Amino acid sequence: MGDQQRKAVNGGEENNSDDIDRLELMSTIGFNGSSQGSLSVHPDRNHIVYPLGNTVIVENLNSKKQDFLQGHTNTVTCVTISRSGRFIASGQQTHMGFKAMIIVWDYEKRSVHCKLDLHKVKVQDLAFSPNDLYLVSLGGQDDGAIVIWDVMKKEAVCGSEAAVKSAGTTYCVAAANQSDFLFFSGGERTLRVWDLDVENRKIRPTDVSLGQLKRIVKSIVVAPEDDYFYCATTTGDILRIIASTKMLSCYGPKKDLFGMGVTSLVLVKDGTFLLGTGDGTVAHAKFIDDKFKVIKKKKIDKAGHITSLTLRGQGHQFFVGTSNSHIYRFNFSEFTYEMIRTCHYEEVNDIAFPKGCSELFVTSSKNDIRVWETASCKELMRINVPNMECHAVCIMPDGKSIVSAWNDNKIRSFLPQSGKLLYEIADAHNKAVTALAVTSNNKRIISGGGEGQVRVWDIFPREQKLRQTLKEHKGVVAFVRVNHSDTECVSASTDGTCIIWDLHKFVRSQVVFANTLFRCVCYSAEQSQIITCGTDRKIAYWQAGDSSQIREVEGSKGGAINAMDMSSDGSNFVTGGDDALIKVWDYVNGVVTSIGVGHCSEIKRLRICPHQKYIISVSKDGAIFRWKYPSNCSL
Amino acid sequence: MATMYGQQESIYNLIPQEEVKQEKQARYTSKFRGNVKVEEKTKKTSSKTMGPAKVELKKPEEFHKKHSKEPQLPPKTKFSYPDEETKRPAVPKRDEKPLMGLKSNKNFVNTNAVENIMSVPKKPAANFVDTVNGATHPLTPSGLMPKYVKKKGYGEVPTYLQQRNEEVQRAQEEYDEYIKEHYRRGAMKCLTEEERKAIMDGLKKNWEEIHHQYQGLSVVTDTAPKKARKERMEAEMKQLERDIELLEKHKVIYISNH
Repeated sequence: MGDQQRKAVNGGEENNSDDIDRLELMSTIGFNGSSQGSLSVHPDRNHIVYPLGNTVIVENLNSKKQDFLQGHTNTVTCVTISRSGRFIASGQQTHMGFKAMIIVWDYEKRSVHCKLDLHKVKVQDLAFSPNDLYLVSLGGQDDGAIVIWDVMKKEAVCGSEAAVKSAGTTYCVAAANQSDFLFFSGGERTLRVWDLDVENRKIRPTDVSLGQLKRIVKSIVVAPEDDYFYCATTTGDILRIIASTKMLSCYGPKKDLFGMGVTSLVLVKDGTFLLGTGDGTVAHAKFIDDKFKVIKKKKIDKAGHITSLTLRGQGHQFFVGTSNSHIYRFNFSEFTYEMIRTCHYEEVNDIAFPKGCSELFVTSSKNDIRVWETASCKELMRINVPNMECHAVCIMPDGKSIVSAWNDNKIRSFLPQSGKLLYEIADAHNKAVTALAVTSNNKRIISGGGEGQVRVWDIFPREQKLRQTLKEHKGVVAFVRVNHSDTECVSASTDGTCIIWDLHKFVRSQVVFANTLFRCVCYSAEQSQIITCGTDRKIAYWQAGDSSQIREVEGSKGGAINAMDMSSDGSNFVTGGDDALIKVWDYVNGVVTSIGVGHCSEIKRLRICPHQKYIISVSKDGAIFRWKYPSNCSL
Repeated sequence: MATMYGQQESIYNLIPQEEVKQEKQARYTSKFRGNVKVEEKTKKTSSKTMGPAKVELKKPEEFHKKHSKEPQLPPKTKFSYPDEETKRPAVPKRDEKPLMGLKSNKNFVNTNAVENIMSVPKKPAANFVDTVNGATHPLTPSGLMPKYVKKKGYGEVPTYLQQRNEEVQRAQEEYDEYIKEHYRRGAMKCLTEEERKAIMDGLKKNWEEIHHQYQGLSVVTDTAPKKARKERMEAEMKQLERDIELLEKHKVIYISNH
């Protein structure tokens, strides 16, 4: 969906939302850890700032209260806080050929200070000058420009190419600590010191001579007195450069380089520095007489790259953000850590609640399936399957196994406590298993595949047998749902059909046609009707007995409806889609009763908990949102 | 193996259970704690301000002697069995021979007869019979005989109660006395009969004096001083008459404190 279109939708919703209740957002689980320097602690020491999808979240560390800074139209790539803490600047990426926006936020008011629009496609990095006068922004690979902005006048001062034509991408930019007119930039075969001349509106670069050394700089930090600056390289060492002469002072370590490069670097008060590496190591090191020495070192397992290191206050405590969206809190003196947060780092594909239990839910994403506690949003268990994507997940009604559908054509079943593999059905489908449902007697799995087949599997304690293959769909089976009595199931496909299958005779009993890619289908409470949704933004009611359409309502003005779930009493249903809005509908009247605003990107799936207390929704950016189920709807 | 696990594991076990904290009993504290605290404090600094207690010194001849602080034990006594006196004499030894040929001249028949004649008849035991078969039981402990009624001091108020009653009475009297005293102190002063009489006599005497002078006044009151004098005397006499009348009218007169 285009960004312009999205804005129009949001505007339209606001106009008629006066009589519609807002859903109360109870909590979110989400952190976009993959971008460099994304997690930072505010100078007031009590808040952390991090991006999630197209939102910047300011979270109080004590009360866990989250404030959402919304305004970006696409994924936020970089966030930086000014030294006084007054401003937060965030840059985004956008589609090829469009301009990527920088937004400077007023921290106290939690509102937009100004929007700066000059870079193309992606904003790579941002830095505030020490007295908050100027903001330096660096464009991405397709832009390759450095622009200086006057924060107060809200306009550009000047700009320049970030590097010479022969050099590669510039990855990072840093401002000096004393002077407002000195900046540093570094990247692939380029390392430059910039002097700002405000009167003439010019920035003048000076290249740092590294001699024979060839490095790709990923992060730059400047010493407090501006005499040196330090560069973290992908080679796995750190360069110390004299800022006045622009000469290399020293570098290290010469041997035992840090694995997978130094990805983040931060200076501590006493002249030592903390660094994070691509293999998940956090180290405390310093230069003694031009020799590099590691003081302490700790490796975090399965953390991914360390993308951000940020000190709380003077650095008695620091936070580590990793590419796998973990946030760790380190104690500096003891060098111990604890994970304070984790979340999915890829899009979340499915949610499942255990039968009759609202306390837990299971989500599936790329590489892993996670079990969460609903109330506290704590991760209870994680099942890892490296490099595979789980399209759908179900919990057997007896709660003794978690069944999941994977893109390597396998159906895997796991034990819910130990996470061990119980059984796997190899080659369950030809083109990835995309949909999954289980019957209430725990003995049958119905799966849908990318090639359009629906298959019924009988599950025995020691073997799993293919009972029947139902070949009718021509497109990907997006969703499968079984009715309460296990006599029939309904499958939604992207070929524009929904088919109700008889599970005794294994034949098609009804088919529904529409000019859309069906995304989701639900049974009504009496099982006599089905409702469908898809990319045509329509919600259609169908008679299950003769497949005639009863009603069609417009579900969204903006984008496809990807997810739908019926409340257990059948009086309401909830939809969510590409417009990132959650809508609670009255089933009988077909009108929206509540709207939930807060998601940062396309909603992939949502579920109402069995006790109708919460709505859990997941989105493409890996965020999990928990909403309060509106009280006027529940019984 | 897998199925075995499957039977045990369940996703519902993952639901975090709230830990039930066992209530601990309150920690033991000695009931003597307060006393101990106070005692420790008082004993610790007993000689802090006034120095050690002044005690009379022992005389030089009463110097500290050896073993004088050891406990005084009772003198040693020879051990004897408690039944030694009632024990029958030892059985004669093997080689002991009884005294042979001893013969008494006592006339047992006579002495027995005389003794029996002379003896005071035995009083029958005080028993009571409760069955037809004549089962007897001692009467005294049975409770059928009035025993406590005949006890000395029966029916009298015990001394401790007497003492207490006396004390109560004395306290009551003291209290009444005190109350009376209190009221008396607060009450107005009452003129006694003598005082009243004295005042009345004095007043009458004054009146007579003034009356006498009045009678001696000149008949004609021609000048202002004469007139003034006559009027003054008349007023004084009137006042005295009024006072005498007041005192005569009221037998009991209180004088206000204020």
